[in-house]
Amino acid sequence: MSAQAPTAEKTRTAAPRPPAGFPFRFYRYRNYVVFAATSVFMALGCVGLLEALYALGRGEEAWKEFLANMAKPHNLVLSLVVLGFTLYFVLRFAWVGRKIAAGRIGPIPRPPLPMPLLGVAPIGGFLTLWLILLAILAGVLP
Amino acid sequence: MELRKVKFEVLRFRPESDPEPVFETYEIDCMEDWVVLDALNAIKDDVDPTLSHRWSCRMGVCGSCGMLVNGRPVLTCAAFVRNYEGTIRVEPLSNFPIVRDLVVELDGFIDKIKSVKPWIIRKIEKDLSEGEYRQSPEQLEEFKQFSMCINCALCYAACPVLANEPEFVGPAAIALAHRYNLDSRDEGNAERFGVLDSHDGVYACSFANECSQVCPKHVDPAMAIQQAKMTDFLEWVHILPKKSFT
Repeated sequence: MSAQAPTAEKTRTAAPRPPAGFPFRFYRYRNYVVFAATSVFMALGCVGLLEALYALGRGEEAWKEFLANMAKPHNLVLSLVVLGFTLYFVLRFAWVGRKIAAGRIGPIPRPPLPMPLLGVAPIGGFLTLWLILLAILAGVLP
Repeated sequence: MELRKVKFEVLRFRPESDPEPVFETYEIDCMEDWVVLDALNAIKDDVDPTLSHRWSCRMGVCGSCGMLVNGRPVLTCAAFVRNYEGTIRVEPLSNFPIVRDLVVELDGFIDKIKSVKPWIIRKIEKDLSEGEYRQSPEQLEEFKQFSMCINCALCYAACPVLANEPEFVGPAAIALAHRYNLDSRDEGNAERFGVLDSHDGVYACSFANECSQVCPKHVDPAMAIQQAKMTDFLEWVHILPKKSFT
C-alpha cells in the first residue's frame, strides 16, 4: 500500500475535554450559564403574564383572586427572581448591542453617529419605551 | 544566561496504550527568555522523545502551537515561562478530540471553515487580462480586522457553546464568513447564508465573548458573530439583498 493511501480506520482519539473552569469555576463561563438560565425564568414570567391576562378576562373577582395569589410570599420571591434574571438579560443584551454596531452592515454605509452611541441606541430606546409603558400602567403618566 | 528549574505537568495520551489521558511531570532548566514551546521542545529533545506536539513558525504566525497553559488557550510560542509561577500545566486544546499527547484532531474545525466558503465568490470571473479587482483603503478597512485570523483554533478551545453544542459552526469560521461578506469584491453572501442562518450558525452564540479574550490576533470573533447576526437577520427580512446566482 502506498504511504499516501488513506488508512481504513482512523487512530483512536481521546474524547474532547471541556474548557478549564467550565461551567462554573471561571467567571465568564458562569456568566454564560446564567445568561442561558435566564430563558427559564423569563419563560416563567411569560406564564405569569398569561395567567394575569386570563384572570383579567374572567372578571373582577378572578383578578382580585390572582392579585391575592401573587401577594403570597413565595410568589413575591419568585417574581423578584424573574425580575433579576430579566434585568440581567437586558444588561447583557445591551452589551451585545455595543458590538453589533461596530462596523458596516452589508452595503449600508457607516453612519455618522459615534459607534458606541449607535450600539447603545436601540437597547436604550427599548428600555425607555419599556419604562414609559410601566409608568402608564402604574398611573404615573396619563 | 541564568537558568531556572521549572516543573511542567503535561497531559499525555498514547492511543495504543493509554485508556485515558494522564498527566506526566517533567522538571527542566529553563532560560530566562524561553517560551513554553521552547520548554516542550527541550523535553522532547532531552528528556522524553515520545512527547508529541505541533509547532512550526515560533513567531505567532502559523497558529500551530495552540495549547492550554494553566487552563488558558494560548499560542505556546508567545507564552513566556517567566510569566508563570510554580508548576506549569500544559494540555491540548479543549473541545477537540485528542490524537496524541498535545496534538488534537482538527478535521471538524477545517470542515467548519470550509463550509462557509472562505474565498471571494464572483458571479462572473473577470479575465486575467482585465486586471485585478480594485479596492480602496476604506473598503479594505471594513474587513481587515477579521482577515487577521491565523486559524489557531484557540477561540474554539475557549468557546463554552462548543462545549455544549459541538456542531456549532464556531467563532473563527463565522468571523471568516463575515470577513468575506464585508469584502467589496465578494458577491457570495447567499452562498454563506445557509450555514450562518442554520441551527448551528450565528444564533447558537450567546456571546460569552471568551473567543475574543483569547484571540492572539485581536480579530474579535465575538464582534464578527454579533454583526453577522444582524446582517443575517436583515437578509432574512430582505432589507439586505442576498446576492445569489447558483
